[in-house]
Amino acid sequence: MTYAYIGKDRRRVEDPRLLVGRGGYIADLRLPGMLHAAILRSPVPHARIRSVDATEALRLPGVVAVLTGEDCKAKLNPCMNFGPATIAQYPLAVDKVRYVGEAVAAVVAENRYLAEDGVDLLEVDYETLPPVTDPMAAMEPESALLHEEHGSNIGYERTFEFGDVNAAFAGADLVVEDTLHWGRSAGVPMETTGAVAQPGFNGVLEIYCNSLNFSYFSFLIAATLRIPSNKLTMKPVPAGGSFGSKLAAHKVPTLAGFLALQVGRPVSYVEDRLDNLMNSDHHGCDRFYEARMGFRADGTITGLDIDVVDDYGAYMQFGVGHHGNAFSQVVGPYRFRDVRYRIRAVLTDKCQQGAYRGFGSEVHNWVLERLVDQGAARLGLAPEEIRRCNFIQPDQFPYTIPGGNLYDSGDYPAVLDKALSMIDLNKWRAEQKRLREEEGRHIGIGLATTQERSVFSSTEFWSMVEKPVLPVTSSPESATVTIDPTGQFQLLLHCQSMWGNSPETVGATVLAEEFGIPPESVNVRYADSAHALPSTGPGGSRYTVMVAGAIRGASRKLRKKLIDIAAHTLEEAPEDLELVDARVQVRDAPETGLTLAELAATAYFFALSLPEGMTSGLEESYTYDHPYTTLPAPDGSDFGVFYPIMGHACHIVVLEVDPDTGIPSFLDYVAVHDAGTIVNPRSLGGHVTGGATQGIGTTLYEELAYDEDGQFQSSTFRDYLIPTANEAPAFRIGHVQTPSPFTEYGIKGGGEGGRMVAPAAVSAAIDDALREYGMRVRRLPVKPADIVATVRAGRSAEGAV
Amino acid sequence: MKPPPFTYCDPESVDEAVALKSEYGSDSLVLAGGQSLLPMLNMRLARPEVLIDINKIGDLQRIERWDDILEVGAGVRQYELEDHQLVGELVPLLPEATGYIGHIECRHRGTVGGSLAHAHSAAELPCTAVALDATVVVRGPSGIRTIEARDFFQGRMTTALEPEEVLVAVRYPVTPQAAGHGFVEVARRAGDFALAGAAAVVNLGEDGCFTSVSVGVSSISDTPVRASAVESALIGEAPTENNIARAAEEIVPSVTAADDLHATHDYRRHLASVVVRRAITAAVARAHERRNGT
Amino acid sequence: MTTSKASTTSIAAKYGTARRTVTVHVNERDVTREVSTRTTLADFLRDELGLVSVHLGCEHGECGSCTVLFDGHSVRSCLMLAVQTDGHTVETVESLAGNPAELHPIQEAFAEEQGLQCGFCTPAMVLRTKEIIETGRDRELTDAEVRHEISGILCRCTGYQNIVRAVQSAQRRCRGGGRDA
Repeated sequence: MTYAYIGKDRRRVEDPRLLVGRGGYIADLRLPGMLHAAILRSPVPHARIRSVDATEALRLPGVVAVLTGEDCKAKLNPCMNFGPATIAQYPLAVDKVRYVGEAVAAVVAENRYLAEDGVDLLEVDYETLPPVTDPMAAMEPESALLHEEHGSNIGYERTFEFGDVNAAFAGADLVVEDTLHWGRSAGVPMETTGAVAQPGFNGVLEIYCNSLNFSYFSFLIAATLRIPSNKLTMKPVPAGGSFGSKLAAHKVPTLAGFLALQVGRPVSYVEDRLDNLMNSDHHGCDRFYEARMGFRADGTITGLDIDVVDDYGAYMQFGVGHHGNAFSQVVGPYRFRDVRYRIRAVLTDKCQQGAYRGFGSEVHNWVLERLVDQGAARLGLAPEEIRRCNFIQPDQFPYTIPGGNLYDSGDYPAVLDKALSMIDLNKWRAEQKRLREEEGRHIGIGLATTQERSVFSSTEFWSMVEKPVLPVTSSPESATVTIDPTGQFQLLLHCQSMWGNSPETVGATVLAEEFGIPPESVNVRYADSAHALPSTGPGGSRYTVMVAGAIRGASRKLRKKLIDIAAHTLEEAPEDLELVDARVQVRDAPETGLTLAELAATAYFFALSLPEGMTSGLEESYTYDHPYTTLPAPDGSDFGVFYPIMGHACHIVVLEVDPDTGIPSFLDYVAVHDAGTIVNPRSLGGHVTGGATQGIGTTLYEELAYDEDGQFQSSTFRDYLIPTANEAPAFRIGHVQTPSPFTEYGIKGGGEGGRMVAPAAVSAAIDDALREYGMRVRRLPVKPADIVATVRAGRSAEGAV
Repeated sequence: MKPPPFTYCDPESVDEAVALKSEYGSDSLVLAGGQSLLPMLNMRLARPEVLIDINKIGDLQRIERWDDILEVGAGVRQYELEDHQLVGELVPLLPEATGYIGHIECRHRGTVGGSLAHAHSAAELPCTAVALDATVVVRGPSGIRTIEARDFFQGRMTTALEPEEVLVAVRYPVTPQAAGHGFVEVARRAGDFALAGAAAVVNLGEDGCFTSVSVGVSSISDTPVRASAVESALIGEAPTENNIARAAEEIVPSVTAADDLHATHDYRRHLASVVVRRAITAAVARAHERRNGT
Repeated sequence: MTTSKASTTSIAAKYGTARRTVTVHVNERDVTREVSTRTTLADFLRDELGLVSVHLGCEHGECGSCTVLFDGHSVRSCLMLAVQTDGHTVETVESLAGNPAELHPIQEAFAEEQGLQCGFCTPAMVLRTKEIIETGRDRELTDAEVRHEISGILCRCTGYQNIVRAVQSAQRRCRGGGRDA
């Protein structure tokens, strides 16, 4: 299928305003009489709060109010929670603090400087409790408890088995096993989360916020605030990056709303970087694996056995949806059928886990690929060979995986071939050998693949839970298309979906395709929650697919109305007309027709010229539901179809490691992705390079570290190391397009794949560079000290021989 | 993250600055380039009662040569060292090391004196000052005092500067024409604090052997370290790969830095010898180039 | 109020109160404002002058989102005080083009190459590009050189690839008879 606009490299329509510095971010918003909040954060990991003394702070001129957990307990309900009900949290800690950085009190003042002065004057009496930092120790009965009401530090424990893993391993020629730790990193966008709340017209609380999904969850914020949901309006504010961190980011708007209600004036609370790193509510996964994979001698994978302890931190707002996510692609692109997966989600004195690009499936993919690489090395197979011989084949789709999810379409050999065609592996392997022998240099080549599940259905948030509280099955997206009386287009999106993706470009491109108008001419707006139709917002690489479906649905309705008006005006049969290049014309006599402007004028101003029964105006809305979801089995034997729009990617990395310093540097990086039909190759490429760079960060640099005493060690950008342009490689991007049979235009999501595969590819390349020393990346981030320790141990072993 | 309240003073002369320091002593802090102090203020890790901004003091911004000394005013911005002709000719290690300080935006504001007074053990200019046998010039109520760089750095971010004194300049001995220099730094990301760094200047005699070796090492201890044991192991030796590598190991006992988030103690012990070896090797190569007139 | 002992004593008193009047040449205009002496340059530009292109990403000098040109040099505006700019020149991205419909060649280059996604680091990247071009680089910088030159500004979206291309494209545009950068 060829399209006029879809699939073309075009400029983004979002960019001009951003380039002149008018992104309209939350911190740019000024309301008359607006106050500012600053937060006192816990310096201790685990303590009972005996008292908070605000006397001095309240004496400071400019300080308007101080609120604490006691106020929250008295005036709020617990925050939204998809985890166990016995693990409740509030925007300010109630009774206990459970990690360094947890919010203890909020000071509202005339400006942020004064608010921070007020924070300085607060005095808190803590009764310290033993810190719970090691998830293994946390599971022991003698451990201190984070949540006495929950009765244990294990938030969730269950084992799932699909097929027969013991039999699969019994029949294997080789079973590899590994102990792996994926360390904490997070989305950490350049802009933090923020909200401005004001008591507004008619007693409605208005909260401006850069959180992404409020159309889906604003009623839950209203519930926390104990106000009717129709008395809360969430106002959309574009975000300066999210990567998961602004997905359902609720505490910031809840707190701003609470403060505004208490002081009766507009209140701005924008996290500073310390707030954000310590307390974003969206630290990424922190998992300890014992993992095994069976192989036959020819490389065929027979089964997978995973035992994972997931260090969830102090709360479990998202439940164990991260593992539900991993189940969407639990076998990766491979054909094996036997999987066992034991999960223990453990509570510790750390910031809770939330969402980060991949939402748990990226960790699973790293584990899977680590095992596949170990199998390949042990069996003497090249990484591309072992993958190729296990791939699900193009003629097997749609393909149901163990656990019940379905892969819609794919051509994994084509992606691998495309990647291999972009880089001469034989040449690099020869060069690797030559440089090692002649110059003593250590070059490594890593190849990895990933599935990129896209378009979540929402059932994975609860399907693993025995008695789910909110077993939702809807995750719709809506769009409203308006043609104004002069024929100009307005597109209304029903959530705040701009975080650095390209919702306006996608929307304008689809409208251009449907109506033959220039994409740049479309004006895009975002609805507030009082006006929004059902909308779930970006997340899980869903938005492009879902909003395209919604816009196309609305467009179909609008096209029909235009053709009906034209047919009536031209006295032609509707089926003889077509819409081409912003004009409705007679198919066999294209010189006869009406422009959109002419039709729009008729639609708005000449009701008597409209077909009988038609009403004035040119506006249509459409709500597009998830294209393919089925119910999970209640007993956990089958999760149903929940993430069927399945992309795929292959990355090939060439890097050099300096064995004396442990510093890696990239020599080449090829990334090939199949995200179905591409809407805009360059913006998809931006997601690939941006995601891969985050994956590199997770692999080599970024770490949200807590020491043994529970002190947080990564509260600034001097310690949380985001890759700069120096650390990012010069990527070479390739695309393969296998359309989805289930979505409009065949689009698949493409927002996360870069980060889902880069860690596996980079880990493999580091292993390969230092293979002679027995290097094996088992813990992320892998730091220079780890690499040098392995090299030195390897060298002294050699010396000993 | 906003600075706490302070009384802001922006004297236009060193005398005035010294008078302020004399009156407020350790209740006051000197604001030079602000690249370390402003983050500390913003995070409220520093809470001076008086902030003495020395950026308006023109006297601090001179770069001058007299005899065999290059004097750089405390207020000279770091980026100015990078393409300053006189600095490049007289003390070529200085611009090279300066290029490793943070990123260009930091060097546009950061000053020479600010870096020395902040005395971070991972910083480039303190390490370089130690390697170059520089002298720190300070002014107090009773006048000028000079302190050898190796005595100036006394402990973790502590210096010999008294509370009533202001650092006004640093004097670098002019590097001999035939000498070679090298600077090597290893960091997690380019521009980060060094995990270890080394600055070296060497002279080779007629016989090609080392006649002098000066090496400063950063980020392995509370202060920048002068690698005296390495130096003495090399004097009179030929600059062979083996000799340099063996001598570089002499730095290892000086490594006292404990494990931190970015490096272990063991790693730093190893890395220290690597950067010392590489810096000396680079310096030797330069000395050879100079001798051969290339 | 945590009053400072110092404010009542002799020498410091000469320097006045917690507020000062400054006159700064911002985006080719002199502006005079009274500011608190502890106000950062970034907050002054954003809150007093409404130049919200100056973005606060970390407020400790590591992310570079608040980069402005101070007397022509790129600096972190979160690491300067507003009082320090009295009598000096400051440029923000608003000085290149305030109107999205009339982009400067550097901004055009970023639009063409999609050298941005969320836009938060973008004003800083554009200003840094302007500085790179103005500091007399006649030759188009290599990929590695551009990466080094922009490494003081973090971008979390793009993986930098398209920014590198944008900087190179901007160099070509400004050299090739575009508007003076």
